[in-house]
Amino acid sequence: MIKFPRRDFLKATGAAGAAGLLSTLPSGAFAQNKPDRITVTSYGGVWETAIRDYFVADFKKRTGVDADVQLGNPNQWISQVKASPNKPPLDAVVATAELIIEAGRAGLVDKIDGAKLSNLKDVDKRFVDICEGWGVCFDYGAGGFGYHKGRVKNPPKSFVEFVDRTAKGEWTASMMTPNWNPATLFVIWALNDVYGGKLDDITPALDAIKRMKKNCIFWGSVTDFLTHLSSGEADIGIYPDGRVWAYYDTGAHWIDFINPSEGGVMIPVAIMKPKNAPDIAWEYINSMIAAEPQAKFAEKMNYGVTNNKVVYSDKVKPRITPWDKTRFPPIAEIGPHLSNWIERWNKEIGV
Amino acid sequence: MRRALKSMPLLGLHLYVIAFFAFMLLPIVVVVLVGFSSTDYIVFPIEGFSLKWFWRVYEYKPFLQSFVVTFEVAIVSTVLAIILGVPAAIGLARSDHPAASVVMTMLLSPLSMPAIILGFALLFYLSMLGFGVSLLSLIIAHTVVAIPYIVRTVAAVYRSLAPSLEEVALILGASRWQTFRHVTLPLITPGISAGALFAMLLSIDNLPLSYFFGSPGTSTLPVVMLSYLENQFDPAIAAVSTLQLAVAVIILVVIERIYGLRGLSAA
Amino acid sequence: MSTASTASAPAATTAGTTNRSRLRALSAQAWLVAPALIFLFIFFVLPLVDNGQRSFVVGDNHWSLANYNKLFFDRYYLGVLGQTIGLSVVVSAICLVLGYPLAYYLVRYAGRWRSLIIFLLVAPLLTSIIMRTFGWRVIFARRGMLNNFLIETGLIDAPIHFLNGPISVIVGLVHVLVPFMVLSIASVLQGINPRLEESAQILGAGRTRTFLLVTLPLSLDGIGTGTILVFMLTCGSFVTLLLLGGGSIHTLPLLIYQQFNTTRDLSLASAMSNVMLVIALICLYIQLRFIRRKGVKG
Repeated sequence: MIKFPRRDFLKATGAAGAAGLLSTLPSGAFAQNKPDRITVTSYGGVWETAIRDYFVADFKKRTGVDADVQLGNPNQWISQVKASPNKPPLDAVVATAELIIEAGRAGLVDKIDGAKLSNLKDVDKRFVDICEGWGVCFDYGAGGFGYHKGRVKNPPKSFVEFVDRTAKGEWTASMMTPNWNPATLFVIWALNDVYGGKLDDITPALDAIKRMKKNCIFWGSVTDFLTHLSSGEADIGIYPDGRVWAYYDTGAHWIDFINPSEGGVMIPVAIMKPKNAPDIAWEYINSMIAAEPQAKFAEKMNYGVTNNKVVYSDKVKPRITPWDKTRFPPIAEIGPHLSNWIERWNKEIGV
Repeated sequence: MRRALKSMPLLGLHLYVIAFFAFMLLPIVVVVLVGFSSTDYIVFPIEGFSLKWFWRVYEYKPFLQSFVVTFEVAIVSTVLAIILGVPAAIGLARSDHPAASVVMTMLLSPLSMPAIILGFALLFYLSMLGFGVSLLSLIIAHTVVAIPYIVRTVAAVYRSLAPSLEEVALILGASRWQTFRHVTLPLITPGISAGALFAMLLSIDNLPLSYFFGSPGTSTLPVVMLSYLENQFDPAIAAVSTLQLAVAVIILVVIERIYGLRGLSAA
Repeated sequence: MSTASTASAPAATTAGTTNRSRLRALSAQAWLVAPALIFLFIFFVLPLVDNGQRSFVVGDNHWSLANYNKLFFDRYYLGVLGQTIGLSVVVSAICLVLGYPLAYYLVRYAGRWRSLIIFLLVAPLLTSIIMRTFGWRVIFARRGMLNNFLIETGLIDAPIHFLNGPISVIVGLVHVLVPFMVLSIASVLQGINPRLEESAQILGAGRTRTFLLVTLPLSLDGIGTGTILVFMLTCGSFVTLLLLGGGSIHTLPLLIYQQFNTTRDLSLASAMSNVMLVIALICLYIQLRFIRRKGVKG
């Protein structure tokens, strides 16, 4: 009973662990110092594949420099840049416009500069302005109605119609909550704007949601919408176009999308260069806004892209909501109101 | 008759255990089955059987890479927590000093800090110290939250042991180290195993800490899985979970074969 | 011999020692505790000092107690605080009631099935939380397995709404946290000699009395550990709440996540985490004192 081999086990795991630690550390440090590699970021899954195959490939072909792709989400990346502003661990960061503005105002970002980006002339100025000049958008999604064709035969044409018919109980709506960050724009700002509300008072939006509430089922995470629709728990909801089509392509041919007449809210994804990142990162950003890789990205992701020269294929053209049919939310001005919005949502809607 | 009556509670206990595990396993069975789905979307009951999602897991490099990082971090941080935590638990467990409860509370306090705040604070602090976003930072962060589990479980077991056992060994001429090695350590092993198991499981499942220290070489499985799922809702995640279970079974079987049944089951 | 003194163990250590050896013992204890304490001071306390300061800064570098004022005097936030603690108490209690018999079974009757039982216990923790949630959704959905079963057996007429409410959240939390309770109790029960129970029975105590007077007091430390861990883990969890509660239950970690992810109000998030830390530490301290006192008196 006294002779236990436990110590040997601990010794072995300890040694294995230490060996692993040593083997990974130097190589990691090395990769960061090597000038012929940069680190860029991407969301996971099919996103990452697209970033790697189109943008990183284009960048590598033109410059001979390779790029490591870091997975995760913008909050994490911006925090990492903020923590080491003098030696940022990331050289080009994908993020929402709102986060890029926050980082830009904190002095962490280089301004977008046409002299350094030869492709910038093909991108509409609004896609730089929406980031206050700290970043440039390369793709966007529009928040319209995703719905089950079989159960919703006559889909609503506008937000007003959607709210009225949901309140009447014609269907169950799957509703996003601000726990998923884009909901602040896709739902709160979208409805507030439609019903004539101002940024400092979202009562019109909250009233609309209160009217619909009894016929809504609220999400926990972004994939809940798809689960709700496929399991029959809900029939329709506000959802970004690209995600609806991505799901359609997996074989769920019962799903469809419609852009409301007021215009679905546009949420762009942008890219920025942290201060003190090497200049070669500009070339990567240039690849991100180049027509050829963007066209491939749109084809794969079903999302609209920002370079004017991109010609969409016949497959994705009818799916992508043209950006002039969307509403651009005033992202820079919304920031200071968010705390108040969320507090009111928590207290009054309570989900 | 009396005998049957006497064994009634035991029968009840057996039935309870079976019902309990039905509850524990029900959602897991769903997950495992979805991993073998043949459709590109997630649906239950599954519409056909296929292994393609396991192939997808193999094919999608970040999964495999993060698998290794995850287990590396879990093992190293748990070992560090054992080295730091076991002596502390022994030092504190039987102390009647008024400060003992305070110190114990302090050692357990990482349990009560929301991990997302701790991760954020540690990212800035470790970057300031020059560790930055690295495997070392990740291990430090995981060790901080692993220590309470070891300290608490070992202290509980040690307190429930009779001090006379150690005293006898000392009186019989054993050195302090010998006493620890041959008397104390075997007796507190259930506590260490339980604490280590907790620490490892939570490390493997930890998102809010790992998230801040993710880099191309240090992203852990939960970070990769979440970023995958948010953009691609397919059965690959179920396949990863199934593989994770399979790895756990294999580790368990190997430990059992090598160290005998008592090792882990003592927990 | 060893088992007889188990109950009064901590008391016995201190009984006959002189002041000097007590002092020496104390310094030995200090050396044992120091490394862990120093490590946590450097990598836990120091990083959080900065965080603590942030909670007092509102707007543009302007010192204020506004955050705390809100958390302690706004009825909504007080409710959130209450819900956080209430949920933790409920989940800990359920885990204890469900877990104790299992821990007992694991130690006394499991025999060669022990490893299997431990594996089954921890298996839920090894599957991704998102998939696990999907599993619960399949089971709990309006047209899900559980409702179908209940309707077919005639127990209910119309489907019950399990999802997006307290039921599914509590079930989801108990499911992942009960292993912590079981293994904490089992590791302490393991050290209790079964002969102690047998002797009690031989001396005429019934099963229930034996359990209440012998087994339960001796395993109090395990119960304490399990309760502390489950309580703290529930206090800090937000993913299960988010995914299974559909946001219907508001707790502090969920709001902290919101501040982090959506409003980017790190000052309020820091204040919330400080409040949570203090409350949790108070609960922790009370629990520890309670166990210690009970344990010593045996």
